[in-house]
Amino acid sequence: MALVLLENVVKSYRIGDQEIRALDGINLRIDEGEFIAIIGPSGSGKSTLMHLLGCLDTPSSGRMQLFGRDLTSARADTLAQVRNKEIGFVFQSFNLLPKIDVVRNIELPLLYSGIPAAERRKRAIEVAESVGLGARLGNRPTQLSGGQCQRVAIARALVNRPRIIFGDEPTGNLDSATGEMVLQMFRDLHAAGRTVVLVTHDPDVAAVTKRVIEIRDGKVRREYNP
Amino acid sequence: MNLWITLETGLREIAAHKFRSFLSMLGIVLGVSSLIATMSLTNGIERGTKAFMQQVGGLELVTVIGKEISAEMIEFANLSPGRTVQDARAIRASTPVVTEISPEINIGALLSSGPISQRMQVAGAWPDYFGVNRHEIEAGRFLTQLDVDRAAHSVVIGDSILKRFWPNLPAEDAVGRILTINQTPFKVVGVLKVYEREQDKRIREIVKARQQPTSSKSQNRWDPFRRKNESVIIPLSTMFFEYKSGQLPEDSLDSIRLDNLSFRVGDLDRFRETLSKVRNALNITHRGVDDFDLQTREEWFQGMEASISATRLSGGLIAAISLVVGGIGITNIMLASITERVREIGIRLAVGARGGDIFLQILVESVSVAFIGGIIGVAAGFGLIKLLIVIAPSENVPFVSLDSIVISVVFAIIAGVLSGIYPALRASRLDPISALRYE
Repeated sequence: MALVLLENVVKSYRIGDQEIRALDGINLRIDEGEFIAIIGPSGSGKSTLMHLLGCLDTPSSGRMQLFGRDLTSARADTLAQVRNKEIGFVFQSFNLLPKIDVVRNIELPLLYSGIPAAERRKRAIEVAESVGLGARLGNRPTQLSGGQCQRVAIARALVNRPRIIFGDEPTGNLDSATGEMVLQMFRDLHAAGRTVVLVTHDPDVAAVTKRVIEIRDGKVRREYNP
Repeated sequence: MNLWITLETGLREIAAHKFRSFLSMLGIVLGVSSLIATMSLTNGIERGTKAFMQQVGGLELVTVIGKEISAEMIEFANLSPGRTVQDARAIRASTPVVTEISPEINIGALLSSGPISQRMQVAGAWPDYFGVNRHEIEAGRFLTQLDVDRAAHSVVIGDSILKRFWPNLPAEDAVGRILTINQTPFKVVGVLKVYEREQDKRIREIVKARQQPTSSKSQNRWDPFRRKNESVIIPLSTMFFEYKSGQLPEDSLDSIRLDNLSFRVGDLDRFRETLSKVRNALNITHRGVDDFDLQTREEWFQGMEASISATRLSGGLIAAISLVVGGIGITNIMLASITERVREIGIRLAVGARGGDIFLQILVESVSVAFIGGIIGVAAGFGLIKLLIVIAPSENVPFVSLDSIVISVVFAIIAGVLSGIYPALRASRLDPISALRYE
């Protein structure tokens, strides 16, 4: 079944009088269980594409269907709900809340889905343990290494049992050994049957996936299987 | 996101920036404390005034006063005998609604007992005097009709007189003593109660309990009941025969001019009607000469009430202004705090927070700031009142009512809500993508 279906999607911005087409007629289908890299240099439109796929934005024209729902012109609250229930994000700069501890950071998506406190805590601890952070539950992100932070972020992305996980340059801020470890985690997630999409400019990162979509000037330039 | 978590998040945020939160609360603290203080002050004034009004006879008391005769009647001025005992009788006869009526002749006289002498105001009166002026007896009795009929040499004295002439004598033992008024001996038949304000009564009781001498400080202050406590009352007839007769050959007890003529209206619902009946009766005794008027306490009391509400209003206005300023302070700091937390908001939006969740979070935070500020303000208000009592002792002790606390805190919360709306709206409208990118 198609998790993601984009048909002739255009995303354009106005800057002054100029209209800039960040995405220019994208057609894309992602099926359940795929492991995909979206690759391209900066300014290629890959981030814009990820924002659309991640329900942070809607297309200017074309059709966007996610998880069987047409979200082409969805309202902000609908998008928030989809992000909350179906999507997990892992960012380059981790994007953890510095003032609260690991468990609370992992719990964050559950706060917005109306799950009772005890259940939230239980699920957060489970996920934290599954990424090897069982001993760090009470720490704040500032007390953790980069690799540990990214694992917190991965745990947060997983806690709501999403149908698709996005990694936006997930190894960008990490040294190569730690980066390798994080990539291995994504590989494991894929092996466990999850749908994973990595957005990167790094061909080495793309190489761990099963399908690479190269974006250039807002268009799909080529697609290949490494 | 449920409200409890939102509240907890808000309180964490406040606790994480204690000094900043304190600064943003400060306006609310000042507003609420000044609101509490003004409300308590006016409460105190109001209570004191009400008590004073009761003590001086209340609204029912009406006084017949002399008035300048109008120009067209000036020719007939001599026709009118002025205010006399005839007036008192006429008023009594005119309507049963007038329950008590008190004609009075006052003189200044030298009072003495043993070695002690003092000039004092002495009133010659009817027994109704005691009811009209709301006197209460401590020991002995009031003057009676028999005292008046027989022109008895009986005198009823106030507490201050007792203290002056027989400092260490209990009121009961003063009854039966002799007090000379301008060399004429009078027998003390009654001693009146001490009239004092609630606070003085409390102070006196505390002092009595401690067996300490009375502090002179409280005695030096202006006391609205001083004159009442200095009462010296003898029968009207005795007053006339001893001190007023023989000055003019045609004088009689019925024609002698009174210094005061007051009466009490028994039924306030028939107040106007009664006044017009009294006016008619007096027109006859004064032979149509308009040399009298009826003075009621209405205007006086209304004036007092109006000044209380003016005080209340101006105090409330000042407090309201500081609450508004406090609210603006919260808005300001919340806006700064949002700018600082754009990224946090972006993260929350990315993991699925809706605009409404963010709105609620910011609103709850500003309301919490205002509420905590309100509570601190209530405490500061109590402190302010304590301070006011010390630096500016007032006749009327301010007191904090539960109402004023509830009202102030509610106003603080309203200020919190109003000042939070705009920042919350701004925060909830952030675009998740640019918020996430924000450095």
